Amino acid sequence: MSGDALFALWIAPARRRSFANMLALALPLILALAVIGWRWGGFVAAILVVPVSLAVALAVARQRMARFDRPWLIRSLDTTRPELEDSSALLFTDEAPASPLQSLQRRRIAARLDQGAPQDLAPAWSSRLLFLSSLFAAGLIAAALLWPRAGEGPPILAPSSEGLPARPGIPRLVGQNLRIIPPAYTGLPVRDSASLDARVPQGSQLEWTLRFNPQASTPKLLMLAGQPLALHPDGANWIASRTADVAFLYRVDPAAGRGATPPLHRVDAIADAPPQVKALTDSLTMVKPGQRSWLPAFAATDDYGVAANARLRVTLAIGEGENVTFSEREIPVSGSGPARDRRFTPRLDFSTFGFAAGGDMVVQLIVRDNRAPNPQEVRGPSLILRWASPKQPESSGLTGMVNTTLPAYFRSQRQIIIDIEKLLKEKRGIAPDRTLARSASIGGDQQILRGRYSQFLGGENEGAPELPTAEAHGDGDGHDHGGPPVAAPNVFGEKEDVLAEFGHPHDESPASSLDPETRAILKQAVDEMWQSERELKTGHPDAALPYAYKALRFIKEVQQATRIFLSRVGPELPPIDASRRMTGKREGLASRQLEITPIEQQDGPAAAAWRALGDGPDAIRGQIDLAPLDGWVRTNATRLPDALALSGAIDVVRQDPGCTACRAKLRALLWAAMERPSGHLARRRPADAAGARYLDRIGGAQ
Amino acid sequence: MTPDIIVALVLTLAVLIGGVRLLLWHRAAGALASPVRTSLLLLLQPIAAGLLYMALFPPDAADGVSSLRIATANTSRLSAAASGSPLILLPEAHAISGGEAVPDLATALRRHPGVTSLTIVGDGLGPRDIDAARGLAVHFDPPPLHPGIRHLAPPPVVAPGARFTVGVTLAGLPNATTELVDPAGRVTDSGTPDKNGHVLLAGTARAAGTTAFTLRVRRDKRLIEQADVPVWVADNARPKLLILAGAPGAEVKTLRRWAIDAGYDVTTQMSAGGGIALGDAPVALDAASLRRFDAAIVDDRSWSGARGVLLAGARGGMGLVLRPGGPIDGATRSQWQALGFSFSGPGGVAPLALPKVDAEAVASTRQGIGSEEVPVDIATTDDYLPDISRLGLTPGGYDAVPLLRDAGGATLGAWRALGAGRVALFTGIDSYGLTLTGRRDLYGDWWSALLDTVARPVPGSRVLTDTGWVGERMTLCGLTGKAQVDGRVRVLPVNGCGGYWPTQAGWHMLRSKDAASAFYVQPADALPTMRAARDRQAMALLSAAEVQQASAALPGQSGTPWIWWLGWLGVSALLWWLERSRLGRHSAPAKTLQSAM
Repeated sequence: MSGDALFALWIAPARRRSFANMLALALPLILALAVIGWRWGGFVAAILVVPVSLAVALAVARQRMARFDRPWLIRSLDTTRPELEDSSALLFTDEAPASPLQSLQRRRIAARLDQGAPQDLAPAWSSRLLFLSSLFAAGLIAAALLWPRAGEGPPILAPSSEGLPARPGIPRLVGQNLRIIPPAYTGLPVRDSASLDARVPQGSQLEWTLRFNPQASTPKLLMLAGQPLALHPDGANWIASRTADVAFLYRVDPAAGRGATPPLHRVDAIADAPPQVKALTDSLTMVKPGQRSWLPAFAATDDYGVAANARLRVTLAIGEGENVTFSEREIPVSGSGPARDRRFTPRLDFSTFGFAAGGDMVVQLIVRDNRAPNPQEVRGPSLILRWASPKQPESSGLTGMVNTTLPAYFRSQRQIIIDIEKLLKEKRGIAPDRTLARSASIGGDQQILRGRYSQFLGGENEGAPELPTAEAHGDGDGHDHGGPPVAAPNVFGEKEDVLAEFGHPHDESPASSLDPETRAILKQAVDEMWQSERELKTGHPDAALPYAYKALRFIKEVQQATRIFLSRVGPELPPIDASRRMTGKREGLASRQLEITPIEQQDGPAAAAWRALGDGPDAIRGQIDLAPLDGWVRTNATRLPDALALSGAIDVVRQDPGCTACRAKLRALLWAAMERPSGHLARRRPADAAGARYLDRIGGAQ
Repeated sequence: MTPDIIVALVLTLAVLIGGVRLLLWHRAAGALASPVRTSLLLLLQPIAAGLLYMALFPPDAADGVSSLRIATANTSRLSAAASGSPLILLPEAHAISGGEAVPDLATALRRHPGVTSLTIVGDGLGPRDIDAARGLAVHFDPPPLHPGIRHLAPPPVVAPGARFTVGVTLAGLPNATTELVDPAGRVTDSGTPDKNGHVLLAGTARAAGTTAFTLRVRRDKRLIEQADVPVWVADNARPKLLILAGAPGAEVKTLRRWAIDAGYDVTTQMSAGGGIALGDAPVALDAASLRRFDAAIVDDRSWSGARGVLLAGARGGMGLVLRPGGPIDGATRSQWQALGFSFSGPGGVAPLALPKVDAEAVASTRQGIGSEEVPVDIATTDDYLPDISRLGLTPGGYDAVPLLRDAGGATLGAWRALGAGRVALFTGIDSYGLTLTGRRDLYGDWWSALLDTVARPVPGSRVLTDTGWVGERMTLCGLTGKAQVDGRVRVLPVNGCGGYWPTQAGWHMLRSKDAASAFYVQPADALPTMRAARDRQAMALLSAAEVQQASAALPGQSGTPWIWWLGWLGVSALLWWLERSRLGRHSAPAKTLQSAM
């Protein structure tokens, strides 16, 4: 066995024992720390404290273990085992013995070494320390568990801050504590307030603990508006409790009205805010090719927490044009993330909803907060997913409406071809002059059709028939040409609108909204019609047929090539004919009086108090009758920005009418609580004699 | 003939008569008369007469000092130590050794009668001493003003609910910001001064009563100066308003609603054509009925029919507001132009540039609390802009006073005097759009401004906007007879103005038999820079006006006459003794005895 292996064998029990001993010492302390952490900072703190302290303990134990090294082993063997003759150092080295004497000695004591076991060298358990450490840890744990925390156990009274002079025989508030127990759903801890003013969550339970000196007999909490709250004795203290559903003002009355009036305290009830829902996706999303599902994302925040379960209202609009069907359903969705800021990203498969091309899917998240007993429900913004119809190209950006091309027109050209072919078929059986006459008649039809098209293109047409849509057009038609043009004063140098002056513009040609390419094709069609017409009128229906076919082809091409955009215009109203005005039946028409009632200005008492508190001619320096104002504040509490503060200020002024600062404070609060009358008239003052003379002179010049 | 000449003549005559009498007596006495005594008497009589004259009209007592140095407030010891003319210490100056302390400048001038020129050191003379320095050559090198509020112009009487403007001029504070704080302590407007230091700040009034806003001047967030801005809000009797419209419409409906809510007694007449009229009970349009109305709002369509009678009514004192219902025709245009509104612009209808919406915090301080009928409606920058336009003609000319401008600077409203009344032109069209988009306040401001300007004047209380300070004489003007301040102090007017020494800060009422005015007195330590600037200006006026008179001698300060009286008494006593004594009388009794024998 080599020296190192022997050393490892002999040192191991000692090291193990030292390590275990150290850990045993540390464990109670770690436990104590964990308990303190849990008490102080909750479960998370405890979880954090344990690994950190454990790591520290391990490091210390390792360091302690490292003390058990080779010199220690040699030293302890030499001191405890005399039979090793102080030569154990020779055993635990790998170096070759320097002299034969050394190697002889080594062999001798190697044989004796095994008379003892390595376990004998292990240090004893430090049981005393272990006991002390356990005791200390137990003490710490007990202290941590028993340590009074805010809101638990009997409250600790803070000195009173009423600022009232002590008067013999009259009880006075000396100690105070206000315990606030928020509703359970808020998750807020119970807390003790040393001040009697507090802002608490709505629905909190308030518990007052007060002490008086000398002992009071029937102390009360006087509410500024409402029933007083009686205090009950609890040992040397007095206690009372109530729920803070609305904000209120109160004062502690220890002596039933004797002595000075104590100051007012205010408890504000902070209402639970409804949750806020924000859409994280765009409000309008288009379906991408190949998309099978949609993941709209919402974030819902609340002051205390959003319920994890929400509902998603899905509205489907499927179909096109007038044939749209709507369906609506609600599906449950669950959110992720912390209670105060939850994310909702439901997955909506198109197949389960039957969502198809040309449809819209509108989703809206409905969340609730965790308020008990009545959760507040809020609807979030709507998100739209649009699946554009493949047949209907984008029409956005066009101001006109889209029409398919004039089917009547091209049907007529087909009719002409049918007529020509019929004529050619029957040609042999009928007389040539008849053929010519029929051909000429078809040529006439062709001319009419050509006329329509050329007019559609904007060309003038000699003696051409009108478009089928346009009836005969003259002075007697439905719309009015306005008679002879009104001779508007023509300013020299101004651009003249000749058309407007001498004619009346019919609307621009409908084909002007065509693109040039289509126009060219239509023109070719008209040219072919012209050729066809010529051949037909000269009695050559067979020669006309190819032109007629060509014309039909061009028209079909136009029909397939594009659509026509007709500009959307309002109805052209005829100008008013003044001579026909008031010529209809006028029974029952007469002058009427239209009643109107002015809005009542409602801050009368406030305005009166405003003047009384001021420094103007209507000011009242002494006692002011504030009862009307107080009543007005109570009835208009919902309209006022801070009715409670106003009530408090009124009470303070009532108690001490001479206090300038209190009056100024009430006046400042009144300013924010007054209506602004809609601007009355500020009358100017008449001019004096000289001014009147002056005005008379310049007025006379008129 | 002045008294002193008369006295001199009388005395000379008396001396002459006395001398003649003495000489006659001397001759008659013959040998008895002693020439020594006679000559002594002859000599003493003119001396006594001369002394009597001097006692009655003592000669000027000049001490030879012709200029003084006057130490005023904040005089540095260094500038006072310069040698030269005697140093006078006014009460405001620090105690400086070698100076002569006087209660005021007039006292100093009485003590030094020959003074013709003054050198002022320090901040300058106050109102107490300015008058005393009139007529002297004043040399004053003003030190720079302290940075602060140089001038504060509080609004005159404000109607309940009206918007008002406060003018402020700052001195030496180019980068300062000014804030107007409402009585509730909220900032209701803020602004930075232009290059001349002027700022205009706006606020809104509430119910009638005295109101104190606060003006704060800050530089780099640090408060430099703070001052009270007194606002006097007073209500008036219900004004009577006539609204004439050629056709019913949204504009006239909104105008009627606004005017009724604003406390007007409104009569609306809308013609619906064919002799049918809508609105209130019909009134005859003639001079007698128009005399009952304080103002009339007339549109262009109803204007043409009632032009003559409306103009006559306006000359009689009624306010006339003309408004177009749309583009106006040539005839109306030339008629309105003939009233004095010379038009410029292309005509037709032009877009109206609305002023920017106030920040929400400011807007909420401008509005009061809402009610069920009129909830609070504050426009935000995201709100829909109302479709309001104006006539494409801008009224201008020398006769018309611009009253309203849009954000682009185009004149929206102008007025001019017409006889005893006024006529205004409002070029906005469809202004009712403002009430539908949260700008009700702007709508009210526009129409209030128009009607405030033109409505028939009535006598009543007014506000004197001159600033006074506690402990300082202020001049109250516009008085027609005896008046009282706060019912205690009587003010006796001279040329319509009276002096008053306020002892208390705050509002005071000046009441005379037929009028009442309110005025505000600032605390003694308020607005120091404004006070200094006012004195500075008075000093500058004094120096400029009085230099040419500097050479003119001060009317002589009389010397003390008692020394002359003593001399005259001595000489008279000597004369009396001489007359009575036996000196120079040669045994006259013996001769008498002898002659008797």
